[in-house]
Amino acid sequence: MAYSEKVVDHFNNPRNMGSFKKEEDGVGTGIVGAPECGDVMKLQIKVQNDTIVDAKFKTFGCGSAIASSSLATEWLKGKTVEEAGKIKNTDIVQELNLPPVKIHCSVLAEDAIKAALADYQKKADPK
Amino acid sequence: MNGHTHHTDDRRELQMARSMCCHCQSEMAGEYFCDRCVKVQPVSKDLDYFSCFGLPRRLAIDTQVLEAKFYELSRAFHPDFYQNKSDAEQSISLGNSAMLNTAYRTLRDPIQRAEYLLDLEAGAVKDIRTSPPADLFEEILELQETLDEFRESDRSSQHAATLRAKLHTDRTNLEERQRDMEARLQQLFGRWDALQDRGEATEQARAERTLILKDMRDILSNRTYVKNIVNDLVATIA
Repeated sequence: MAYSEKVVDHFNNPRNMGSFKKEEDGVGTGIVGAPECGDVMKLQIKVQNDTIVDAKFKTFGCGSAIASSSLATEWLKGKTVEEAGKIKNTDIVQELNLPPVKIHCSVLAEDAIKAALADYQKKADPK
Repeated sequence: MNGHTHHTDDRRELQMARSMCCHCQSEMAGEYFCDRCVKVQPVSKDLDYFSCFGLPRRLAIDTQVLEAKFYELSRAFHPDFYQNKSDAEQSISLGNSAMLNTAYRTLRDPIQRAEYLLDLEAGAVKDIRTSPPADLFEEILELQETLDEFRESDRSSQHAATLRAKLHTDRTNLEERQRDMEARLQQLFGRWDALQDRGEATEQARAERTLILKDMRDILSNRTYVKNIVNDLVATIA
């Protein structure tokens, strides 16, 4: 089975690869994994005035997992925290044309976004 | 009651998709060929892999029985024997063979067998989802970064030698942990089988069953992460 052109493009030219310092103000970090395949994904957001001004990722896994997280960081930039929470894995599946066996990669990206947002909110509003 | 005891799902003949022959519509006796028109029947999609080989749903299985039954059924369904048959029979032979191959590959490997059993049992036991092992993820990310650093380093430098030595130690430690996990899995497999053999329906037995499944799920996923990073380590520093 061949990867779609968009997956290959994200895989060859990943956007926003890297990381922020976890302790930095306004940074939310999500680290998630897919037990089915052992992929591990780290996704970070940098928030200023409730808007995501930057996002970075590091993914160790297959091409679809890398493409899903790369696309997720592109989409996250410029969104408010609330808007970011509405990104669904199905949007990623559609955009990247993921085959059924790779849907869990998009789920992983959605989980990573949720985890990063939760971490940001926990840091911003510690109770 | 249909008179069956809890042993019914242990030993069942190969289930066919329907009780009627799909070619001549006569009643089927539960074999995979119609006695009347002698044509092959499609295997039921609901059939689980254990029942497919007439094996009890256990984690320790007799692999010789598995292999013998696999060969027997492979011969019965092999597409080569259906070349001169109708399109319908050819397509059934192909479908049955594909299912059989997947079933055999899955059950042959103890880890895949356990993963499969968990999938089967997950319907019965909800919430086997495990919490992500945060410490392990941190460790893996850190290791991957060291691996990247090593890949980009000048292999003849002192720095590369230091990194290689560190990665080598990490590899030994992780392999040790993987073995440890596999030993713990073996124990859980034994406990699962013993519990099934006792066949109790008490509250306590149900609780133990849920616990065993959850522990298996946990260790199996952690093992996958560890195995992946070990593979990366081996490929890079070999």
